[in-house]
Amino acid sequence: MSDEELAKDLGPLAALTIGVGTMIGAGIFVLPGQAAGEAGPVIAISFIVGGVISLFTALSASELGTAMPKAGGSYYYVNHALGPLFGSIAGMGNWIGLAFASAFYMLGFGDFLVDIVGVPGVDLFGFSLSSIQIAALVAGAVFVAVNYVGAKETGRLQNIIVITLVAILTAVTVIGFFSADLSTLRPFAPAETGGYGAILPGTALIFVSYLGFAKITTVAEEIKNPGRNLPLAIVGSVVIVTIMYAIIMVVLMSVENWKTLATIPSPVVHVAEISFGNLLGLAWLGGGLIVFAGLLATASSANASILASSRINFAMGRDKLITAKLNEIHPKFATPYRSIVVTGAFILAFIAYGNVEVLAKAGSVLHLVVYGLMNLGLIVMREADPEEYDPDFTVPFYPLTPILGALLSFGLITQMKPEEIQLSLVFIAVGLGWYLFYARTRADKQGILGQYILSRRDDMPKAAVSAADSVAPDGGDYRVMVPLANPKHEKDLITLASALAKQNDGTVIATHIVTVPDQTTLEHARDNVDALDGTNDDLLEAAREDAETFGVDVETHTIISHRAFEEVFDAARTYNADVCVMGWGPHSHGRAESRVDELTSEVPCDFLVLKDRGFDPDHLLVPTAGGPDSDLSAAVARDLREEYDSTVELLYVRDDDESRDDAGEFLANWAVDHDLKDAEFTIEDGDVEEAIERRARDATMLLVGATERGLINRLLGGTLVMDVVDDVDCSVLLAEKKRRRSLKERLLGSE
Amino acid sequence: MTDLLAYPLVPVASEADAEATLRALLPRLDAGATIVVCHVIEKAGGGVDKAGVEQREDRAREIFDHVEAHCRTADVSVETRIDYGTDVADTVFEAAADIDASAVAFTPREGSRWLQFLTGDTARDLVTENDRPVVVLPDRSRGTASTDEAES
Repeated sequence: MSDEELAKDLGPLAALTIGVGTMIGAGIFVLPGQAAGEAGPVIAISFIVGGVISLFTALSASELGTAMPKAGGSYYYVNHALGPLFGSIAGMGNWIGLAFASAFYMLGFGDFLVDIVGVPGVDLFGFSLSSIQIAALVAGAVFVAVNYVGAKETGRLQNIIVITLVAILTAVTVIGFFSADLSTLRPFAPAETGGYGAILPGTALIFVSYLGFAKITTVAEEIKNPGRNLPLAIVGSVVIVTIMYAIIMVVLMSVENWKTLATIPSPVVHVAEISFGNLLGLAWLGGGLIVFAGLLATASSANASILASSRINFAMGRDKLITAKLNEIHPKFATPYRSIVVTGAFILAFIAYGNVEVLAKAGSVLHLVVYGLMNLGLIVMREADPEEYDPDFTVPFYPLTPILGALLSFGLITQMKPEEIQLSLVFIAVGLGWYLFYARTRADKQGILGQYILSRRDDMPKAAVSAADSVAPDGGDYRVMVPLANPKHEKDLITLASALAKQNDGTVIATHIVTVPDQTTLEHARDNVDALDGTNDDLLEAAREDAETFGVDVETHTIISHRAFEEVFDAARTYNADVCVMGWGPHSHGRAESRVDELTSEVPCDFLVLKDRGFDPDHLLVPTAGGPDSDLSAAVARDLREEYDSTVELLYVRDDDESRDDAGEFLANWAVDHDLKDAEFTIEDGDVEEAIERRARDATMLLVGATERGLINRLLGGTLVMDVVDDVDCSVLLAEKKRRRSLKERLLGSE
Repeated sequence: MTDLLAYPLVPVASEADAEATLRALLPRLDAGATIVVCHVIEKAGGGVDKAGVEQREDRAREIFDHVEAHCRTADVSVETRIDYGTDVADTVFEAAADIDASAVAFTPREGSRWLQFLTGDTARDLVTENDRPVVVLPDRSRGTASTDEAES
């Protein structure tokens, strides 16, 4: 068997049981009481309606799943088809929707648990938790812990659980038939719950029972022969579960009047006791079987949800919609432990909130939003028809199926109560805000829809184009500022800056700082730039032309100032530069020497200062001892290597008391961490400066990071770096990274 | 006796494990030697895995990046492979048979008894259920430096 086949070990039965196992937990064991109270016997129709609505989306999910068998399921399809804006909504919706559903399952679990063991309620400072909540919290924490360490689970166990559940439910149904009295079902649609009008609100309540089929898509990558087995499992589990639900609801309500079911605790246990007692005289067995099955079902549903949510997190992290840190794998347990802990925290918080019905419906609303978007995504994929879109399974009656799927999914949301919709909207809004304020500058993957619209700018309505433009991921505009002074170095500086901008899809901002004496007013100078500095237009024009040969965007600015060097800092802030590339030499911006003390040692953006002895990126020497500034020189080396196919040589000078192995280990780790693992590794010993000079003889450019004290001071201070710069023959690029100390970064500990 | 470390299969579970293992292994190899490093992705065999396969494949490649860089500084050639199986130890020996490795070389990782019970004690399985030589390497980071230093 190939590795590919070994990685895919979910057969058709396993895939089916994932769907059935997740769905069977909810509706039957937790909700029948509320469901009966909501609509009376006609709730059986509500279940069928729920199944039909699910079926449309299940067909769409099957097509998308066979076209893109990727981890993350529904989130992935929406993000791929509709782009990261909707991707963020779907990812957040799917993730939190699963957390809502898990909290709901755990409360169901707690409900069955208190039937067996006594659990006290707690009242702390006016915040009270029922005994069911306490049991659910404890059980929820245990499930999170088990998933954290990744207990060895086997597929066989899951199959056994699901087969046991189906067997018990079948037994209860069959035995229930003997105690059934069809007259109990009359009136089928009682007036007091709203007659047949109660069907749709009933569906809204019980729709949480149908969230399982989408979970199959989150493991689509692991399914054998997905072209056949995925649709079979998704559609099959919806059909099986719908039929089971409808029959069981009818039996429940023909054994016991729906009004009684709605008011007593544990109605299914009650019905099982009656029917087992009537037929076999074994009331305890019936009740016991249901309690056992209820625990098993709610536990397996919750477990599947936790596992599915970590895959959604992974897929979102891969698309850069959330930080990769959330998806780190535990070194010992090989589990996505952080994702599990965060999801677990949501689940426990929702359990503490405690309203089963609101949790169930909020979970449904979020899933319905995702389902609706998924159907729209299918339409986009079909219409845009990108080359790689080649599903093995296609929905019947396109475009009717996905259109109905979307309409019915969004339509069912209207049947929910305002509180439940609002609770979900909070998380949709968080998803939206998250994208616009966090992820948009990081995400770089555009959706098929955005590509489709933007590639047909002229044929598309203006509003659509501008909407697509304004929400498109920008991956963050990388702005490279070049303060120009000496025309002799213009070309080399612009070339370096353009190479960096090109590699980062960025913009070059060429600035010319014209210094005027303090006596001259800036207004006067602005009107007479050419008289003051005849090179201005030529310099910026040359810069524009040079940058344009790289195909990068260019901006040019003339800055009139009384100051020279300091103005560079101000300009970097004004033009929002990410990095500033400047020359350094006797005539560059040399007038700063006298004012060093006025300058802050904190640079406003990353700084690269080129001692220009000709721009030749053929062989880059990057000495490192770690530290943030060598992070910057590593990044520049990567970009130049990408652009010019440069040879990169990493140099580490070891201490006398450091072994060669340890030095090698440090350098190897550093190289991997900075994406330079294919570079040449050089380890030297002895004097650092001499070692750098020795190696620099073969190099065409030396990329050296400044150290802690600040670049400007170093430039003029005659320290180590300074001497090296003068003692080597090649060009030297001095790098100083901006120290980021914003509150957010302190809190998150990034950079 | 033939050299057990002539062409060893080296299972690694994490970056830390890879570093500990290579730190012990690389000084014991001849320059120009070849090792095969494998990472096993544990499958549930029909159930939902504890982590996604793509996610763990990404992680395997990150571990291999470190492995390759370390081996290069030590002038050792390295091949890497990802193996999939429901039992880590069995999968390691299948991989060893596949490449006809001279031995399986690994560094045991710590873990409390109950965690090993819950998650499976792979180190024990490696030394007890083998069908080819197993070299258990010392973990220098665990404070046994004196004996280790003496032999290397």
